[in-house]
Amino acid sequence: MTKYEKAAAGGVALMLAAAAAIFLFAPTDALQGPVQRIFYLHVSAAIAAYGCFAVVLVGGIIYLRNGSLVADRFARAGALVGLVFTTVTLVMGMLWAKPIWGTYWTWDARLTSTLVLWIIYAGYLLVRRLAEPGRQAARFAAVVGIFGFIDVPVVHFSVTWWRTVHPGPIIVNDALPPEMLATFFFTMACTLVLAAVMIGIRYRIEALADVAVHAVAEPAHMVASRDPEPVN
Amino acid sequence: MSILVANGLTHWFGSEVALESVDLAIDAGEHMAVLGENGAGKTTLLRILATAARPTSGGLEIMGLDALRERRRLRRRIGYVAHAPGLYPALSAAENLEFFCTLQGVSRTRAAETLALVGLVSEASRPAGLLSRGMQQRLAIGRAILHDPKLLVLDEPDASLGSDAADLLAAVMSDRTVVMATHDHALANRLCQRTLTLRHGRSVGTATRLHVVR
Amino acid sequence: MTNSFAVAVAVARKDLRAEWRTRELVPALAQFVILALVIANFGFQIDSRNAPSIAPGILWLALVFAGLVAFGRAFAAEREQASLEALLMTPASPVAIFAGKAMAATLLLIGCEAVLLPALTLFFGTPLSVEVIAAVLLATIGMAALGCLFAAMVARVRARELLLPLLTLPLWIPFIVAGGQAVQVAMGASGSYDQAMALLVDFDILFVVLTSLAARFVLDD
Repeated sequence: MTKYEKAAAGGVALMLAAAAAIFLFAPTDALQGPVQRIFYLHVSAAIAAYGCFAVVLVGGIIYLRNGSLVADRFARAGALVGLVFTTVTLVMGMLWAKPIWGTYWTWDARLTSTLVLWIIYAGYLLVRRLAEPGRQAARFAAVVGIFGFIDVPVVHFSVTWWRTVHPGPIIVNDALPPEMLATFFFTMACTLVLAAVMIGIRYRIEALADVAVHAVAEPAHMVASRDPEPVN
Repeated sequence: MSILVANGLTHWFGSEVALESVDLAIDAGEHMAVLGENGAGKTTLLRILATAARPTSGGLEIMGLDALRERRRLRRRIGYVAHAPGLYPALSAAENLEFFCTLQGVSRTRAAETLALVGLVSEASRPAGLLSRGMQQRLAIGRAILHDPKLLVLDEPDASLGSDAADLLAAVMSDRTVVMATHDHALANRLCQRTLTLRHGRSVGTATRLHVVR
Repeated sequence: MTNSFAVAVAVARKDLRAEWRTRELVPALAQFVILALVIANFGFQIDSRNAPSIAPGILWLALVFAGLVAFGRAFAAEREQASLEALLMTPASPVAIFAGKAMAATLLLIGCEAVLLPALTLFFGTPLSVEVIAAVLLATIGMAALGCLFAAMVARVRARELLLPLLTLPLWIPFIVAGGQAVQVAMGASGSYDQAMALLVDFDILFVVLTSLAARFVLDD
């Protein structure tokens, strides 16, 4: 097994352990019933999604400062993995919302800003694909990532402020009993490890892709047979 | 004295090679013609030499400065006529030039002088969009010399100019170092001392006074 | 040494002069917003009672779409980047060029607003007060800076009609939330107008500064 396969296996094993904790160790919520167990993965995925976004931000800033290809690769990896976790967060959120509030969606601050996060990730990846490959794509995407990172809390704040005038459904967050808290922290840790593993693997894929793009155009055996440039 | 020294200029568009390890050196006051088929990489090379684009790899030194770092400074001394004229169609010929005088930081009187130099005085108040292709090309050439650059990079300037192309270009090119892309070998012979030929993005060598190869 | 302010003003004047001579954009925008109002009337069944609560929404809807068109044009009109390249080859700083184009696009959008707001008052009887106008103008500034930055980015990229809204709208949401609230209060709803306006000012400052810093990465290589 390569180190990537081992890391992937480790990540999966950890998530299975987290699943065991969620279903076997954590107690059932008195108010919401078994549905509440979505919370552990939903919030963990959200935290992982924002963590990936931080990777995109830092990678983008470093790239703009000194053109570091490594930073750009991490940003690319972070964006793709982050999109996955944001999708998971949104879907889990909707599945949880329906039985609890009776509706799949409410325009509260957290849901709205998570949706905005998803849209910004999608924009980042599209810009990368549609711009001129190489420096232009990396530069534009870095700008999108930086603006997006600042925008998400601003949107969250705006909607929270707006909700003071237009109140919506209230999310009741009782204090969590210690078993639930422990399960949550464990799940969060496992999810973050999984996110890191996924970013690492994706980084490797991006690095290979960067090299492959150049190798396809000029196979090595042809370089040697080129005549030296004639001098006037 | 070399005004421009390029080492191993290479440029990729995604997975396509446009330029591959091109070397060249141009002396002060020299006129060099860049020849090659369509798609050989002439425009890519000229854009890099004019500092309008950055190569994927390779080094470029212009007037003693590292062209990849000092682009802002160098652009004051470089004039560039791109493949497409890029004029503002709703503005008159004079207004186009006056606008660029402001951007270049030169006196607006230069606009009138340049119009005279390129033979467009009679069209000064005509909207640029209504000018013929040849006149638009002259206007674009005029725009490139407003700030009296030492290095002039011209991408197929003769493409739409008429029979007096050679005279106009000779007048514009005098006292400047010039890199010019063209398909017209006779023109290149007349105006330039050296030629560089590109084939599939690679330099096939430089020659003094072109030998027509068939 | 080129004076950046003079450059920005020259660029803005050039854009405005070109628009004045061709008269393409502002009439198109004006026509669009009038049409939006007419559709809204039939779509929402607006009468004098519900007008104050629906009108602000229509205002922002029309403004957002008009804005996307106006800012998209600001850079697309640079003839597939040939003239933008000529601009960048001058000593003028990219930030000054960007500022000039953003100023011109803002003024053109304000021209559209000069049609939209009176039309809103005419069709739906909503008040046309200083408070309403001030709120719209403040929001326009920040939205213009962001719209122009991403329009500059998108102008060199494929599928720009898809990409411009995708990139710009998430950043416009805070302006629509705060601006929408300000206009609602100005039209009679309850809430704090001053708070909403203060938020708009904060957003304007934040995003104008950010776009100025980002302009050189977007315009130049």
